[in-house]
Amino acid sequence: MFKRFRSLFRALTRRSDFEDGMTEELRFHIEEYTDDLVRSGMSQGKAARLARMELGSLTNVKGDCREAFGLHLFDEFRRELHYAIRLLRKTPGFTATALLTLAVCFGANLTIFAVIDSVLLRPLPFPEPGQLVTLFNTYPRAGVERDGSSLTNYYERRDHIPAFASLAIYRYGTAIVGEAGSTEREQITQVSPDFFSTLRLGPVMGRTFAEEETTYQTNSVAILSDTYWRQHYNADPNVIGRQLRVDGRPKTVIGVLPPGFSFLSSEARLYFPLASRPQDRMPLERHSGGNVIQMIARLKPQATLLEAQSQIDAQNATLELDDPQAKMMADAGFRSLVVPLHADHVAAIRPTLLLLEAGVLVLLLIGAVNLVNLLLIRSSGRIKELAVRQALGASRGYVISETAVETTLLTLVGGLLGLAVGAGGIRLLAALGYDRLPLGARIAFDMRLALVALVGAIVMGVVLAAPIAWFSLRRHLGTTLQTESRGGTSGRSAQILRHSFIVSQIALAFILLAGAGLLGLSLERVMAVSPGFQSDHVLTGQISLSGKSYPDAAARLAFIENLMDKTAHLPGMLFRGVVNNVPFSGNSGKSAATVEGHILRPGESARGHYSYGVAGDYFQAMGFSLRAGRFLTAADSRRPERVCVVDEDFAQYYWPKTSAIGQRLWEGSQQGKDLEAFTIVGVVGGVKQAGLTEDQAQGAIYYPYIFRTDDKMFVAVRASLAPESLALTLEKVVRQVDADVPVNDLRSMETRIADSLVARRSPALLAGLFSGIALLLTAIGTYGVLSYAVAQRRREIGVRMALGAQPGQIRRQFFSLALRMLAGGTLLGLLGAWLAGRAMQTVLFHVPPLNLAILAGAACVTAVVSLAACLLPSERAARISPMEALAED
Amino acid sequence: MGKTAELLPGTLDMLILKAVSLKPLHGYGVLLRIRQISRDALEIPQGSLYPALYRLEHHDLIAAEWGQSENNRRAKYYTLTAAGRRRLREETAGWNRLASAMAAALNTTSEEV
Repeated sequence: MFKRFRSLFRALTRRSDFEDGMTEELRFHIEEYTDDLVRSGMSQGKAARLARMELGSLTNVKGDCREAFGLHLFDEFRRELHYAIRLLRKTPGFTATALLTLAVCFGANLTIFAVIDSVLLRPLPFPEPGQLVTLFNTYPRAGVERDGSSLTNYYERRDHIPAFASLAIYRYGTAIVGEAGSTEREQITQVSPDFFSTLRLGPVMGRTFAEEETTYQTNSVAILSDTYWRQHYNADPNVIGRQLRVDGRPKTVIGVLPPGFSFLSSEARLYFPLASRPQDRMPLERHSGGNVIQMIARLKPQATLLEAQSQIDAQNATLELDDPQAKMMADAGFRSLVVPLHADHVAAIRPTLLLLEAGVLVLLLIGAVNLVNLLLIRSSGRIKELAVRQALGASRGYVISETAVETTLLTLVGGLLGLAVGAGGIRLLAALGYDRLPLGARIAFDMRLALVALVGAIVMGVVLAAPIAWFSLRRHLGTTLQTESRGGTSGRSAQILRHSFIVSQIALAFILLAGAGLLGLSLERVMAVSPGFQSDHVLTGQISLSGKSYPDAAARLAFIENLMDKTAHLPGMLFRGVVNNVPFSGNSGKSAATVEGHILRPGESARGHYSYGVAGDYFQAMGFSLRAGRFLTAADSRRPERVCVVDEDFAQYYWPKTSAIGQRLWEGSQQGKDLEAFTIVGVVGGVKQAGLTEDQAQGAIYYPYIFRTDDKMFVAVRASLAPESLALTLEKVVRQVDADVPVNDLRSMETRIADSLVARRSPALLAGLFSGIALLLTAIGTYGVLSYAVAQRRREIGVRMALGAQPGQIRRQFFSLALRMLAGGTLLGLLGAWLAGRAMQTVLFHVPPLNLAILAGAACVTAVVSLAACLLPSERAARISPMEALAED
Repeated sequence: MGKTAELLPGTLDMLILKAVSLKPLHGYGVLLRIRQISRDALEIPQGSLYPALYRLEHHDLIAAEWGQSENNRRAKYYTLTAAGRRRLREETAGWNRLASAMAAALNTTSEEV
């Protein structure tokens, strides 16, 4: 087989050698034969004639020889290609429309495919990625869907779950790296020693972390990413053993990761051991995950997810037997779930992406229908030509392959243009914030995409050719040849097909339009939700303090108080405050609290509440509303009495009838000592903590900062002018307090809220864009089909006008055709829009699948566009002059 | 030409392979050699000779090379390849089996039934 390809290839590449050789060989034959005949006594002329005659027609022999090499297919292809190019150049209007349609449809599809491919399809970049799973604790009845895993979980499960080949935990974080004065904040990940072996991808240089390096005394080692190693160590091959300062402490480099190593969407460039104390690993800490530490595991080759899940369930059941909190956890619906790592990571964005993919596929369908219609019209203009050629001996196969060559040529060029559009589309996606999607950093314009475009273009070419070839071949040759007109009449079935294509186009465009409308309405409803505070004029930024300089709560409080003092008299800063996490920062954790005197009702479980430590004038800075009592003040962190503020959701839940002021509660899931009780001194308005679409009011508790500190915190500043204008000032003041502390993630609250809507806004925008294109394509399609109908019936119209028909009647005739197609399309579209709306429910916010206003709007827009498209052709029909029409042909 | 027999389909390839197996030949030489070894019994249609040669070359059963003819002219000479030699052996064996089976069948007399 291979040899045959090689000989064909050689014949193709040295085509002239092949032809010359063949000619020479045949001439040699004739001359030798002639000589032999002459020698046997024949005259020269007669001999030459006989020699030629016996060989037969040279053209035929040569053709047969070429065919023996498989060359004829290429010759034919080349001829068809030239013919197709000539045809396309003869009709530049058609060619440009078709190419533009293809470019836009392919471009949109390639863009969305690039996202789908990198986020959903392409496996994680580790060996056997399908075996990787993640585990997390869930307490659904306490309102905590996801609580990560605890250190205890890790130490209890390691080597005890037979379905897992290995198990590891990690924690995302940041660290301040570098010598004093030239520090940089770096994304880091702390990992257990088996993290890299679980991924089966570890350091290419040096070693991974050891079990002994998981204590706070021994964790001074680091593994560098390839980019960090190149940037900061100039790719030094002797980097192992060198020191770097992390949060003021020295760490020794023990390994370098391979280039391109990336774990999920993490941008971490440094990896440290996840250190802990023995008491953090005790059974009592089993439920203290707090969504900070995450667990991954690798299934053994034969093990299934179900096995792993049942083994985890069984182990949990055994371990909880002697857990004092077991009853409460069971009431809260506690379980540890095992889910595939990749699917879990992209679960939230998956429905939206699939929706967009459906949208672009509809767009492609509309484009394809448009092209088939335009091609059908064009081919019926050539009916007679084709019939003549068939009568002269062109085979059916020839007609089919000629059509396929032409459509594939179109789609290939269209695909090439589509790649350019797609490249632009990917840029647009980046502008819409798609690189911030899970795994969004992988979205790229690459060979894979080019290959998809190529295959898609070829498939499209063949698909487009099928109906055209079918229609060209099924006509009766005799009748076609007998008709007098040059174009020939197209059959009634072709006309019905063209019209039903328009109907389906209108329906599809309607569905897209209605879908985009639903997304837009949903976005509008989300944006109309009040976050619960005055989000304008608030600047927020994150600060993290290193454990070395700020070992305890008192030191952190001192830092904050110093900062508050320094900013007190700065112009433009009305109120300043500090909190562990601002709303919409994406990392608000919930924890348990116990209310004095609250007895759990049957079926009720302890609830997780958003819990924060606040300092300064946090409430005023964020613009919270005070419902009762007072806000916390800076002094509350310095007073012996323990006080706190709760939000109205919390107050409403526990004291629906009485006032919350003066009530007492404890942190944690048990009633503590009297001295540790917090007295509620104020009730503030409820706030959307995790996002505007958060439906469940989970309740929040605000403690004075000293009681709930963290090495990370957010500063919030209410500004009298544009909040962004204060960013530089804030950074400078923080540097004045401590030169080694940078401020990160500086954004106004309004920006944070807007950014939290990226997964809703950009699909709505894209869907709007798609439906705009769909409408344009539908208009082109309607225009094309009606123009053709008018042109074809020119003569008939001329006759009717000569017999006294009024232009208005003619105009009405075409208008009513357009109206009928519009009505059919809209009816079908209504059905489709209802189905699409139901399929979209998961991504919609408080929007029913059928919304009258949207449907009416979509119907109006479709009607206006398609009637406008038929205006020109019907006007042209009405202006036909009977004299001219009858004189033609 | 009363004595010449019609070529059975598929036998032209076999004859070409056989002719070329004896000695490298140019196209016209193949024609003459087949006439000679069949003792003028088989007449090759000249129009199908060259397509057959090209097909065999394409299938790597014979190889072509330019050389000098007896009267010093440039000519394309065909030789048998290893694959061609194998094919010829198989086809010869197959043909002989078929021919003897056919002969036995056709010579059957009524007594032998």
